[in-house]
Amino acid sequence: MRRRGIDLRSPVSNPPFDELQRKVLDLRPDPDTELAERLDSPYGIPNEFYAALRHVPHDVGGQPDGPVEYKEKEELDWELRTYVTCECLGWRGVWNSEERRRMENDLGATQYFGLPYYARWATTAARVLINKGLVTPDELSAKLDEVRARKAGES
Amino acid sequence: MSERRFSIGDRVTVRDATSLFHTRTQAFTRGKTGVVVEDRPPWVIPEDEAWGRDTEETGRVEPFYVVRYRQRDQWPGYTGADGDTLETEVSERWLEPA
Repeated sequence: MRRRGIDLRSPVSNPPFDELQRKVLDLRPDPDTELAERLDSPYGIPNEFYAALRHVPHDVGGQPDGPVEYKEKEELDWELRTYVTCECLGWRGVWNSEERRRMENDLGATQYFGLPYYARWATTAARVLINKGLVTPDELSAKLDEVRARKAGES
Repeated sequence: MSERRFSIGDRVTVRDATSLFHTRTQAFTRGKTGVVVEDRPPWVIPEDEAWGRDTEETGRVEPFYVVRYRQRDQWPGYTGADGDTLETEVSERWLEPA
């Protein structure tokens, strides 16, 4: 995928934050189009456009699309761990699969299509734990910082 | 509860109701007519399950059905065989007699 000169496929090792932020901004529609105006918090929109915006991202049947390359891919460790964590949360009564799918839709189209499949799971797991009062955002932030520091020490 | 509004072989139309935030009733089935081909046991509807109301005490329990549609009725300009079909599963509230 190539948008306005930035190759989103190229793996960048530890890129500076502002470069990543530019890439996120680049996910917006081309500023010269009518769509850009519509997606810039407009004062009003037609009902048809509201219906299109409201459409849930996981309901893809019949949507326009192109050919998709078939790839064999083994699950990575973090993907399996995410899967098991989410299933355990269900087993302990924190949520159910339908709730997770709804929460993935709630991420909105940009994150829904921008995140890897299991990153959507991980993100919604974090959200449900905070939402239901099982962890606090600052506890989770502290843990992430701890892991980041450990990873930085490993490299 | 155990009473089912539809039977296998009934022609049904999927309601084109407004969906908010989440749905398991695919957009491409809305307003389309098909035939009930399978009964599925009653369970909590996704509209409740998706919000954590997922037990018989907290969620609304309804019979589910598998509905078969002709592909030709689903997609404008469908070029496949006439007998091609497609099936989806929905709770009773989404169906009306055709």
